[in-house]
Amino acid sequence: MNYFDANTWVGRWPFSFQPAHTPRTLVAHLRPHGVRRALVSPLDAVLAPSPGPANRDLLRTTRGLAALVPVPIINPGLADWREELAVVAADSRVRAVRVLPNYHSYRLRSRAMHALAAELTRRRLALIVQVRLVDERHEFHAMRLKGVPPTDLDRFLKQHPKLRVLACGLTRNELFKLAPEHPHLLADLSFVEWHDTLRDALTKASPRQLVFGSHTPFFITAASRAKVSTAAIRPRTMAAIAGGNLARFHP
Amino acid sequence: MSLRYPSRTVAKAKRNLAEIFMRAIDVHTHPILREDRRGRTGAGPLLARARAHGIEHVVALGDVLVHGRSPTAAQIRRINDDTAWLVAQHPEFVTGFCYLNPTLGEHAVRHEVERCVARGFRGLKLEIANNARDACMRPVMAAAEHHGLVVLQHAWSMTKIRQRRYHTDPEDVATLARRFPNVRIIMAHLTGCGVRGVLAVKACANLVVDTSGAAPEEGLVEFAVEHLGANRVLYGSDVPVRDFGVALARVTGSRLDDATKRKILRENARALLRLP
Repeated sequence: MNYFDANTWVGRWPFSFQPAHTPRTLVAHLRPHGVRRALVSPLDAVLAPSPGPANRDLLRTTRGLAALVPVPIINPGLADWREELAVVAADSRVRAVRVLPNYHSYRLRSRAMHALAAELTRRRLALIVQVRLVDERHEFHAMRLKGVPPTDLDRFLKQHPKLRVLACGLTRNELFKLAPEHPHLLADLSFVEWHDTLRDALTKASPRQLVFGSHTPFFITAASRAKVSTAAIRPRTMAAIAGGNLARFHP
Repeated sequence: MSLRYPSRTVAKAKRNLAEIFMRAIDVHTHPILREDRRGRTGAGPLLARARAHGIEHVVALGDVLVHGRSPTAAQIRRINDDTAWLVAQHPEFVTGFCYLNPTLGEHAVRHEVERCVARGFRGLKLEIANNARDACMRPVMAAAEHHGLVVLQHAWSMTKIRQRRYHTDPEDVATLARRFPNVRIIMAHLTGCGVRGVLAVKACANLVVDTSGAAPEEGLVEFAVEHLGANRVLYGSDVPVRDFGVALARVTGSRLDDATKRKILRENARALLRLP
Protein backbone atom coordinates (compact mmCIF):
# COMPACT_ATOMS: atom_id res chain seq x y z
CA MET A 1 0.00 0.00 0.00
CA ASN A 2 1.32 3.44 -0.96
CA TYR A 3 0.46 6.16 1.50
CA PHE A 4 0.11 9.86 0.75
CA ASP A 5 0.41 11.64 4.09
CA ALA A 6 -1.58 14.84 4.65
CA ASN A 7 0.10 15.90 7.84
CA THR A 8 3.88 15.98 8.38
CA TRP A 9 6.28 18.57 9.73
CA VAL A 10 9.92 19.53 9.56
CA GLY A 11 11.78 21.61 12.12
CA ARG A 12 11.95 21.74 15.88
CA TRP A 13 9.08 21.72 18.36
CA PRO A 14 10.42 22.95 21.69
CA PHE A 15 7.80 21.43 23.98
CA SER A 16 8.42 17.71 23.47
CA PHE A 17 11.19 15.18 22.83
CA GLN A 18 10.03 14.50 19.27
CA PRO A 19 12.68 14.39 16.51
CA ALA A 20 13.45 17.60 14.62
CA HIS A 21 13.34 16.41 11.02
CA THR A 22 14.97 18.00 8.03
CA PRO A 23 13.27 17.27 4.71
CA ARG A 24 15.84 14.56 3.97
CA THR A 25 15.54 12.83 7.34
CA LEU A 26 11.76 13.02 7.08
CA VAL A 27 11.76 11.26 3.71
CA ALA A 28 14.09 8.58 5.09
CA HIS A 29 11.83 8.16 8.12
CA LEU A 30 8.58 7.92 6.15
CA ARG A 31 9.77 5.53 3.44
CA PRO A 32 9.85 2.33 5.59
CA HIS A 33 6.27 3.06 6.63
CA GLY A 34 5.13 2.98 3.03
CA VAL A 35 4.66 6.75 2.81
CA ARG A 36 5.65 7.64 -0.72
CA ARG A 37 4.42 11.26 -0.69
CA ALA A 38 3.69 13.68 2.08
CA LEU A 39 2.43 17.20 2.50
CA VAL A 40 4.95 18.92 4.73
CA SER A 41 4.88 22.22 6.61
CA PRO A 42 7.53 24.00 8.68
CA LEU A 43 7.19 23.94 12.47
CA ASP A 44 9.50 26.93 12.65
CA ALA A 45 6.69 28.98 11.10
CA VAL A 46 4.28 28.22 13.95
CA LEU A 47 5.91 30.17 16.75
CA ALA A 48 7.99 32.65 14.73
CA PRO A 49 6.84 36.29 14.46
CA SER A 50 6.28 35.73 10.73
CA PRO A 51 6.14 32.46 8.76
CA GLY A 52 8.09 33.97 5.84
CA PRO A 53 11.65 32.81 6.63
CA ALA A 54 10.53 29.26 7.50
CA ASN A 55 8.41 29.06 4.32
CA ARG A 56 11.36 30.17 2.20
CA ASP A 57 13.55 27.58 3.89
CA LEU A 58 10.92 24.88 3.30
CA LEU A 59 10.67 25.67 -0.41
CA ARG A 60 14.45 25.68 -0.76
CA THR A 61 15.22 22.51 1.19
CA THR A 62 12.45 20.38 -0.33
CA ARG A 63 13.54 21.15 -3.91
CA GLY A 64 14.58 17.90 -5.58
CA LEU A 65 12.72 15.77 -3.02
CA ALA A 66 9.78 14.43 -5.02
CA ALA A 67 8.36 12.65 -1.96
CA LEU A 68 7.67 15.92 -0.17
CA VAL A 69 5.07 18.44 -1.27
CA PRO A 70 5.70 21.77 0.45
CA VAL A 71 2.71 23.38 2.13
CA PRO A 72 3.68 26.84 3.36
CA ILE A 73 1.98 28.45 6.32
CA ILE A 74 0.07 31.69 5.91
CA ASN A 75 -0.90 33.91 8.81
CA PRO A 76 -3.74 36.17 7.70
CA GLY A 77 -3.42 38.03 10.99
CA LEU A 78 -0.27 39.68 9.64
CA ALA A 79 -0.43 42.73 7.42
CA ASP A 80 1.77 41.21 4.69
CA TRP A 81 -0.11 37.93 4.16
CA ARG A 82 -0.98 38.77 0.51
CA GLU A 83 2.69 39.33 -0.31
CA GLU A 84 3.65 36.11 1.48
CA LEU A 85 0.99 34.18 -0.40
CA ALA A 86 2.19 35.63 -3.70
CA VAL A 87 5.77 34.59 -2.96
CA VAL A 88 4.97 31.00 -2.02
CA ALA A 89 2.39 30.58 -4.78
CA ALA A 90 5.05 31.47 -7.33
CA ASP A 91 6.55 28.04 -6.64
CA SER A 92 4.69 25.62 -8.93
CA ARG A 93 4.81 22.84 -6.31
CA VAL A 94 2.59 24.84 -3.98
CA ARG A 95 -1.07 23.85 -4.45
CA ALA A 96 -2.22 24.43 -0.88
CA VAL A 97 -1.39 26.52 2.16
CA ARG A 98 -1.89 25.71 5.81
CA VAL A 99 -3.34 27.98 8.50
CA LEU A 100 -3.13 27.62 12.29
CA PRO A 101 -5.78 29.98 13.70
CA ASN A 102 -5.31 28.93 17.33
CA TYR A 103 -1.54 29.46 17.28
CA HIS A 104 -1.74 32.72 15.33
CA SER A 105 -4.59 34.19 17.35
CA TYR A 106 -7.38 34.80 14.86
CA ARG A 107 -10.69 33.13 14.19
CA LEU A 108 -11.77 31.38 11.03
CA ARG A 109 -14.67 33.82 10.98
CA SER A 110 -12.34 36.84 10.90
CA ARG A 111 -12.45 39.29 7.99
CA ALA A 112 -8.82 38.52 7.09
CA MET A 113 -9.58 34.81 6.89
CA HIS A 114 -12.46 35.43 4.51
CA ALA A 115 -10.16 37.60 2.39
CA LEU A 116 -7.59 34.79 2.35
CA ALA A 117 -10.28 32.30 1.32
CA ALA A 118 -11.32 34.53 -1.56
CA GLU A 119 -7.73 34.93 -2.69
CA LEU A 120 -7.08 31.17 -2.51
CA THR A 121 -10.22 30.50 -4.57
CA ARG A 122 -9.06 33.05 -7.14
CA ARG A 123 -5.64 31.39 -7.33
CA ARG A 124 -7.17 27.88 -7.34
CA LEU A 125 -5.20 26.95 -4.25
CA ALA A 126 -6.53 24.68 -1.53
CA LEU A 127 -6.66 25.42 2.18
CA ILE A 128 -5.54 23.17 5.01
CA VAL A 129 -6.90 24.16 8.40
CA GLN A 130 -4.75 22.78 11.21
CA VAL A 131 -7.36 22.40 13.92
CA ARG A 132 -4.78 21.47 16.54
CA LEU A 133 -1.16 20.41 16.73
CA VAL A 134 -1.24 19.01 20.25
CA ASP A 135 -3.91 17.56 22.52
CA GLU A 136 -4.98 20.67 24.44
CA ARG A 137 -4.48 18.85 27.74
CA HIS A 138 -0.82 18.31 26.88
CA GLU A 139 0.15 21.77 25.67
CA PHE A 140 3.10 23.40 27.39
CA HIS A 141 1.80 24.61 30.75
CA ALA A 142 2.42 28.29 29.95
CA MET A 143 0.31 28.11 26.78
CA ARG A 144 -3.45 28.52 26.81
CA LEU A 145 -4.63 27.10 23.51
CA LYS A 146 -7.76 25.34 22.34
CA GLY A 147 -8.53 23.71 19.02
CA VAL A 148 -10.26 25.62 16.26
CA PRO A 149 -13.97 25.64 17.21
CA PRO A 150 -15.98 23.28 14.96
CA THR A 151 -18.71 25.91 14.78
CA ASP A 152 -16.22 28.33 13.20
CA LEU A 153 -15.18 25.72 10.65
CA ASP A 154 -18.82 24.90 9.97
CA ARG A 155 -19.66 28.54 9.25
CA PHE A 156 -16.48 29.06 7.22
CA LEU A 157 -17.24 26.07 5.00
CA LYS A 158 -20.77 27.31 4.38
CA GLN A 159 -19.45 30.73 3.39
CA HIS A 160 -16.79 29.37 1.01
CA PRO A 161 -18.38 26.45 -0.82
CA LYS A 162 -15.97 26.63 -3.77
CA LEU A 163 -12.80 26.50 -1.69
CA ARG A 164 -11.19 23.07 -1.35
CA VAL A 165 -10.61 22.53 2.38
CA LEU A 166 -8.79 19.81 4.29
CA ALA A 167 -9.10 19.84 8.08
CA CYS A 168 -6.15 18.29 9.93
CA GLY A 169 -6.42 17.37 13.59
CA LEU A 170 -10.18 17.04 14.04
CA THR A 171 -11.20 14.76 16.90
CA ARG A 172 -13.71 11.96 16.38
CA ASN A 173 -16.55 14.01 17.81
CA GLU A 174 -15.66 17.02 15.67
CA LEU A 175 -15.47 14.85 12.56
CA PHE A 176 -18.86 13.37 13.36
CA LYS A 177 -20.37 16.87 13.61
CA LEU A 178 -18.80 18.29 10.46
CA ALA A 179 -18.46 15.47 7.94
CA PRO A 180 -22.16 14.77 7.29
CA GLU A 181 -22.91 18.49 6.97
CA HIS A 182 -20.07 19.19 4.56
CA PRO A 183 -19.69 16.39 2.01
CA HIS A 184 -16.84 18.23 0.23
CA LEU A 185 -14.77 18.61 3.38
CA LEU A 186 -11.72 16.36 3.65
CA ALA A 187 -10.42 15.39 7.08
CA ASP A 188 -7.25 13.67 8.14
CA LEU A 189 -7.30 10.86 10.70
CA SER A 190 -4.46 11.98 12.94
CA PHE A 191 -6.62 12.77 16.00
CA VAL A 192 -9.60 10.52 15.12
CA GLU A 193 -9.59 7.28 17.08
CA TRP A 194 -11.96 4.61 18.33
CA HIS A 195 -11.58 0.86 18.36
CA ASP A 196 -11.56 -0.07 14.68
CA THR A 197 -11.16 3.61 13.82
CA LEU A 198 -11.99 3.56 10.14
CA ARG A 199 -15.17 1.49 10.34
CA ASP A 200 -16.31 3.82 13.08
CA ALA A 201 -15.41 6.98 11.13
CA LEU A 202 -17.16 5.65 8.05
CA THR A 203 -20.44 5.48 9.93
CA LYS A 204 -20.55 9.31 9.69
CA ALA A 205 -18.08 10.29 6.99
CA SER A 206 -18.07 9.22 3.35
CA PRO A 207 -15.08 7.14 2.14
CA ARG A 208 -14.12 10.10 -0.06
CA GLN A 209 -13.80 12.46 2.90
CA LEU A 210 -11.08 10.72 4.90
CA VAL A 211 -7.34 10.95 4.30
CA PHE A 212 -4.35 9.42 6.02
CA GLY A 213 -2.40 11.87 8.16
CA SER A 214 0.38 10.62 10.40
CA HIS A 215 1.13 13.93 12.13
CA THR A 216 4.81 12.98 12.11
CA PRO A 217 6.86 13.75 14.18
CA PHE A 218 4.32 14.66 16.86
CA PHE A 219 2.88 11.14 16.67
CA ILE A 220 4.44 7.72 16.18
CA THR A 221 4.21 7.18 12.43
CA ALA A 222 3.64 3.42 12.71
CA ALA A 223 0.76 4.01 15.12
CA SER A 224 -0.94 6.51 12.82
CA ARG A 225 -0.53 4.20 9.87
CA ALA A 226 -2.01 1.29 11.83
CA LYS A 227 -5.41 3.05 11.82
CA VAL A 228 -5.51 2.43 8.09
CA SER A 229 -3.41 -0.70 7.65
CA THR A 230 -5.27 -2.75 10.30
CA ALA A 231 -8.74 -1.51 9.41
CA ALA A 232 -11.39 -4.08 8.54
CA ILE A 233 -12.59 -2.29 5.41
CA ARG A 234 -12.70 -2.98 1.68
CA PRO A 235 -9.31 -2.69 -0.09
CA ARG A 236 -10.69 -0.08 -2.46
CA THR A 237 -11.82 2.13 0.39
CA MET A 238 -8.52 1.60 2.16
CA ALA A 239 -6.58 2.65 -0.93
CA ALA A 240 -8.68 5.80 -1.26
CA ILE A 241 -8.06 6.76 2.36
CA ALA A 242 -4.37 5.82 2.24
CA GLY A 243 -3.69 8.06 -0.71
CA GLY A 244 -6.31 8.34 -3.44
CA ASN A 245 -8.45 10.99 -1.79
CA LEU A 246 -5.50 13.22 -1.01
CA ALA A 247 -4.13 12.80 -4.53
CA ARG A 248 -7.46 14.11 -5.82
CA PHE A 249 -7.35 17.05 -3.40
CA HIS A 250 -3.71 17.80 -4.18
CA PRO A 251 -3.05 16.58 -7.75
CA MET B 1 -22.36 -1.34 9.78
CA SER B 2 -21.79 -5.03 10.45
CA LEU B 3 -19.34 -6.01 13.16
CA ARG B 4 -18.58 -9.39 11.62
CA TYR B 5 -15.10 -9.86 10.26
CA PRO B 6 -14.63 -11.52 6.86
CA SER B 7 -11.86 -14.09 6.28
CA ARG B 8 -9.90 -11.47 4.34
CA THR B 9 -9.75 -9.37 7.51
CA VAL B 10 -8.60 -12.30 9.61
CA ALA B 11 -5.85 -13.06 7.10
CA LYS B 12 -4.74 -9.46 7.17
CA ALA B 13 -4.73 -9.46 10.94
CA LYS B 14 -2.54 -12.57 10.95
CA ARG B 15 -0.10 -10.80 8.67
CA ASN B 16 -0.21 -7.92 11.09
CA LEU B 17 0.53 -10.31 13.94
CA ALA B 18 3.56 -11.59 12.05
CA GLU B 19 4.63 -7.99 11.60
CA ILE B 20 4.25 -7.41 15.32
CA PHE B 21 6.17 -10.68 15.88
CA MET B 22 5.04 -10.97 19.47
CA ARG B 23 1.97 -11.61 21.56
CA ALA B 24 0.49 -9.10 23.95
CA ILE B 25 -1.48 -8.81 27.17
CA ASP B 26 -3.66 -5.72 27.29
CA VAL B 27 -3.98 -4.43 30.87
CA HIS B 28 -6.42 -1.62 30.07
CA THR B 29 -9.66 -2.42 28.24
CA HIS B 30 -13.36 -1.61 28.59
CA PRO B 31 -15.00 -4.29 26.40
CA ILE B 32 -18.44 -3.28 27.63
CA LEU B 33 -18.92 0.44 27.26
CA ARG B 34 -22.41 1.77 26.78
CA GLU B 35 -21.16 5.02 25.27
CA ASP B 36 -20.49 2.81 22.27
CA ARG B 37 -24.21 1.81 22.33
CA ARG B 38 -23.25 -1.88 22.26
CA GLY B 39 -23.37 -3.13 25.83
CA ARG B 40 -22.66 -6.82 26.34
CA THR B 41 -23.35 -7.66 22.69
CA GLY B 42 -20.42 -5.55 21.58
CA ALA B 43 -17.88 -7.28 23.77
CA GLY B 44 -17.58 -10.44 21.65
CA PRO B 45 -16.62 -8.69 18.40
CA LEU B 46 -14.25 -6.43 20.29
CA LEU B 47 -12.47 -9.41 21.85
CA ALA B 48 -12.35 -11.08 18.43
CA ARG B 49 -10.58 -8.02 17.13
CA ALA B 50 -8.16 -8.19 20.07
CA ARG B 51 -7.34 -11.80 19.19
CA ALA B 52 -6.85 -10.87 15.54
CA HIS B 53 -4.24 -8.36 16.67
CA GLY B 54 -2.26 -11.02 18.52
CA ILE B 55 -3.55 -10.16 21.98
CA GLU B 56 -3.71 -13.28 24.12
CA HIS B 57 -5.30 -11.83 27.26
CA VAL B 58 -7.07 -8.65 28.36
CA VAL B 59 -7.88 -7.00 31.64
CA ALA B 60 -11.51 -5.80 31.66
CA LEU B 61 -11.95 -2.71 33.83
CA GLY B 62 -15.68 -2.19 33.55
CA ASP B 63 -17.80 0.61 32.10
CA VAL B 64 -16.40 3.59 33.96
CA LEU B 65 -18.40 6.14 31.97
CA VAL B 66 -21.97 4.90 32.08
CA HIS B 67 -22.98 6.37 35.46
CA GLY B 68 -20.76 9.44 35.65
CA ARG B 69 -17.86 9.99 37.98
CA SER B 70 -19.46 8.84 41.25
CA PRO B 71 -21.68 5.78 40.74
CA THR B 72 -23.90 4.39 43.49
CA ALA B 73 -23.32 1.00 45.12
CA ALA B 74 -26.04 -0.55 42.96
CA GLN B 75 -24.55 0.91 39.79
CA ILE B 76 -21.10 -0.33 40.75
CA ARG B 77 -22.54 -3.82 41.28
CA ARG B 78 -24.15 -3.83 37.83
CA ILE B 79 -20.90 -2.75 36.18
CA ASN B 80 -18.94 -5.46 37.98
CA ASP B 81 -21.65 -8.00 37.13
CA ASP B 82 -21.08 -7.16 33.47
CA THR B 83 -17.36 -7.79 33.91
CA ALA B 84 -18.03 -11.07 35.75
CA TRP B 85 -20.32 -12.14 32.88
CA LEU B 86 -17.53 -11.38 30.39
CA VAL B 87 -14.97 -13.33 32.42
CA ALA B 88 -17.38 -16.28 32.58
CA GLN B 89 -17.81 -16.13 28.78
CA HIS B 90 -14.06 -15.95 28.11
CA PRO B 91 -12.32 -17.36 31.20
CA GLU B 92 -8.99 -17.96 29.48
CA PHE B 93 -8.95 -14.60 27.77
CA VAL B 94 -10.31 -12.05 30.25
CA THR B 95 -9.20 -11.06 33.72
CA GLY B 96 -11.67 -8.93 35.65
CA PHE B 97 -10.81 -5.92 37.77
CA CYS B 98 -13.38 -4.74 40.30
CA TYR B 99 -14.51 -1.16 39.68
CA LEU B 100 -14.93 0.79 42.92
CA ASN B 101 -16.18 4.12 44.16
CA PRO B 102 -14.14 4.71 47.33
CA THR B 103 -16.38 7.59 48.43
CA LEU B 104 -19.17 5.07 49.19
CA GLY B 105 -17.27 4.17 52.36
CA GLU B 106 -15.46 1.27 53.93
CA HIS B 107 -18.40 -1.11 54.24
CA ALA B 108 -19.49 -0.73 50.61
CA VAL B 109 -15.90 -1.06 49.36
CA ARG B 110 -15.13 -4.14 51.43
CA HIS B 111 -18.42 -5.81 50.46
CA GLU B 112 -17.91 -5.22 46.74
CA VAL B 113 -14.27 -6.32 46.81
CA GLU B 114 -15.19 -9.57 48.54
CA ARG B 115 -18.02 -10.18 46.08
CA CYS B 116 -15.63 -9.67 43.15
CA VAL B 117 -12.76 -11.67 44.62
CA ALA B 118 -15.15 -14.59 45.04
CA ARG B 119 -15.80 -14.36 41.29
CA GLY B 120 -12.10 -14.51 40.44
CA PHE B 121 -11.29 -10.83 39.94
CA ARG B 122 -7.60 -10.03 40.30
CA GLY B 123 -7.50 -6.29 40.68
CA LEU B 124 -9.26 -3.05 41.54
CA LYS B 125 -10.06 -0.20 39.16
CA LEU B 126 -10.24 3.37 40.38
CA GLU B 127 -11.42 6.20 38.19
CA ILE B 128 -12.40 9.76 39.13
CA ALA B 129 -14.75 9.48 42.09
CA ASN B 130 -12.00 10.92 44.28
CA ASN B 131 -8.34 11.83 44.30
CA ALA B 132 -5.96 8.94 45.05
CA ARG B 133 -4.45 10.84 47.97
CA ASP B 134 -7.84 11.07 49.78
CA ALA B 135 -8.43 9.27 53.07
CA CYS B 136 -11.23 7.20 51.52
CA MET B 137 -8.54 5.21 49.71
CA ARG B 138 -7.39 3.53 52.93
CA PRO B 139 -9.98 0.71 52.95
CA VAL B 140 -9.45 0.21 49.23
CA MET B 141 -5.73 -0.26 49.65
CA ALA B 142 -6.20 -2.38 52.76
CA ALA B 143 -8.47 -4.69 50.76
CA ALA B 144 -5.97 -4.80 47.91
CA GLU B 145 -3.19 -5.76 50.29
CA HIS B 146 -5.32 -8.33 52.08
CA HIS B 147 -6.40 -10.09 48.88
CA GLY B 148 -3.17 -9.55 46.93
CA LEU B 149 -4.96 -7.47 44.28
CA VAL B 150 -3.38 -5.10 41.76
CA VAL B 151 -4.75 -1.54 41.83
CA LEU B 152 -5.17 0.27 38.53
CA GLN B 153 -5.55 3.99 39.17
CA HIS B 154 -6.68 6.39 36.44
CA ALA B 155 -4.25 9.32 36.25
CA TRP B 156 -3.62 12.30 34.01
CA SER B 157 -1.41 15.31 34.43
CA MET B 158 -4.13 17.85 35.21
CA THR B 159 -2.03 20.94 35.77
CA LYS B 160 -4.16 22.88 33.29
CA ILE B 161 -7.58 21.32 33.74
CA ARG B 162 -7.87 22.03 37.48
CA GLN B 163 -10.16 19.18 38.56
CA ARG B 164 -7.76 17.80 41.10
CA ARG B 165 -10.41 17.59 43.81
CA TYR B 166 -11.51 14.32 42.27
CA HIS B 167 -9.08 13.80 39.41
CA THR B 168 -5.77 12.09 40.17
CA ASP B 169 -2.45 13.53 39.03
CA PRO B 170 0.66 11.33 38.73
CA GLU B 171 1.96 13.10 41.85
CA ASP B 172 -1.11 11.81 43.72
CA VAL B 173 -0.48 8.24 42.51
CA ALA B 174 3.07 8.58 43.80
CA THR B 175 1.67 9.61 47.19
CA LEU B 176 -0.63 6.58 47.16
CA ALA B 177 2.24 4.26 46.24
CA ARG B 178 4.43 5.62 49.02
CA ARG B 179 1.64 5.22 51.59
CA PHE B 180 0.97 1.63 50.57
CA PRO B 181 4.32 0.13 49.52
CA ASN B 182 3.01 -3.43 49.70
CA VAL B 183 0.30 -2.87 47.09
CA ARG B 184 1.15 -3.22 43.41
CA ILE B 185 -0.19 -0.23 41.48
CA ILE B 186 -0.68 0.41 37.77
CA MET B 187 -0.76 4.11 36.95
CA ALA B 188 -2.95 4.38 33.86
CA HIS B 189 -2.34 6.53 30.78
CA LEU B 190 1.33 7.14 30.15
CA THR B 191 0.48 9.64 27.42
CA GLY B 192 -1.80 11.60 29.74
CA CYS B 193 0.77 11.54 32.54
CA GLY B 194 3.58 12.56 30.21
CA VAL B 195 7.18 13.35 31.08
CA ARG B 196 6.13 15.03 34.29
CA GLY B 197 4.18 11.98 35.42
CA VAL B 198 7.00 9.55 34.71
CA LEU B 199 9.37 11.65 36.78
CA ALA B 200 6.81 11.91 39.60
CA VAL B 201 6.58 8.13 40.08
CA LYS B 202 10.19 7.22 39.32
CA ALA B 203 11.06 6.45 42.94
CA CYS B 204 7.97 4.25 43.56
CA ALA B 205 9.17 0.68 43.07
CA ASN B 206 5.66 -0.77 43.63
CA LEU B 207 4.25 1.26 40.72
CA VAL B 208 4.16 0.51 37.00
CA VAL B 209 2.62 2.57 34.20
CA ASP B 210 0.44 1.48 31.28
CA THR B 211 0.94 2.88 27.78
CA SER B 212 -2.67 3.92 27.16
CA GLY B 213 -4.11 7.40 26.88
CA ALA B 214 -4.66 10.08 24.23
CA ALA B 215 -3.05 10.04 20.80
CA PRO B 216 0.22 8.13 20.15
CA GLU B 217 2.64 10.92 21.03
CA GLU B 218 6.22 10.38 20.00
CA GLY B 219 9.00 9.58 22.48
CA LEU B 220 7.04 8.88 25.66
CA VAL B 221 7.38 5.09 25.77
CA GLU B 222 11.13 5.43 25.29
CA PHE B 223 11.26 8.11 28.01
CA ALA B 224 9.32 5.90 30.43
CA VAL B 225 11.65 2.95 29.85
CA GLU B 226 14.70 5.16 30.26
CA HIS B 227 13.51 6.49 33.63
CA LEU B 228 11.46 3.62 35.09
CA GLY B 229 13.23 0.67 33.54
CA ALA B 230 11.90 -1.92 31.09
CA ASN B 231 10.10 -3.85 33.84
CA ARG B 232 7.84 -0.98 34.89
CA VAL B 233 6.02 -0.24 31.62
CA LEU B 234 2.98 -2.29 30.48
CA TYR B 235 1.00 -2.29 27.29
CA GLY B 236 -2.55 -0.99 27.62
CA SER B 237 -4.94 0.22 24.94
CA ASP B 238 -8.03 1.77 26.60
CA VAL B 239 -10.27 0.22 23.92
CA PRO B 240 -12.91 0.96 22.77
CA VAL B 241 -11.88 4.58 23.16
CA ARG B 242 -8.63 3.71 21.37
CA ASP B 243 -7.69 1.41 18.50
CA PHE B 244 -5.81 -1.87 19.15
CA GLY B 245 -3.62 -1.34 16.09
CA VAL B 246 -2.62 2.14 17.15
CA ALA B 247 -2.06 1.15 20.77
CA LEU B 248 0.17 -1.80 19.84
CA ALA B 249 2.16 0.30 17.40
CA ARG B 250 3.00 2.76 20.19
CA VAL B 251 5.25 -0.04 21.43
CA THR B 252 6.16 -1.93 18.26
CA GLY B 253 6.80 1.37 16.44
CA SER B 254 9.01 2.75 19.20
CA ARG B 255 12.81 2.87 19.06
CA LEU B 256 13.14 0.24 21.82
CA ASP B 257 14.88 -3.08 21.28
CA ASP B 258 12.85 -6.24 20.72
CA ALA B 259 13.49 -7.69 24.19
CA THR B 260 12.15 -4.53 25.81
CA LYS B 261 9.12 -4.49 23.52
CA ARG B 262 8.33 -8.06 24.54
CA LYS B 263 8.52 -7.12 28.19
CA ILE B 264 6.14 -4.19 27.71
CA LEU B 265 3.72 -6.09 25.50
CA ARG B 266 3.51 -9.28 27.50
CA GLU B 267 6.06 -10.38 30.06
CA ASN B 268 5.62 -7.58 32.59
CA ALA B 269 1.83 -7.99 32.66
CA ARG B 270 2.14 -11.76 32.85
CA ALA B 271 4.32 -11.47 35.93
CA LEU B 272 2.19 -8.77 37.56
CA LEU B 273 -1.09 -10.63 37.06
CA ARG B 274 0.53 -14.03 37.73
CA LEU B 275 -0.85 -15.43 34.50
CA PRO B 276 0.35 -18.81 33.25
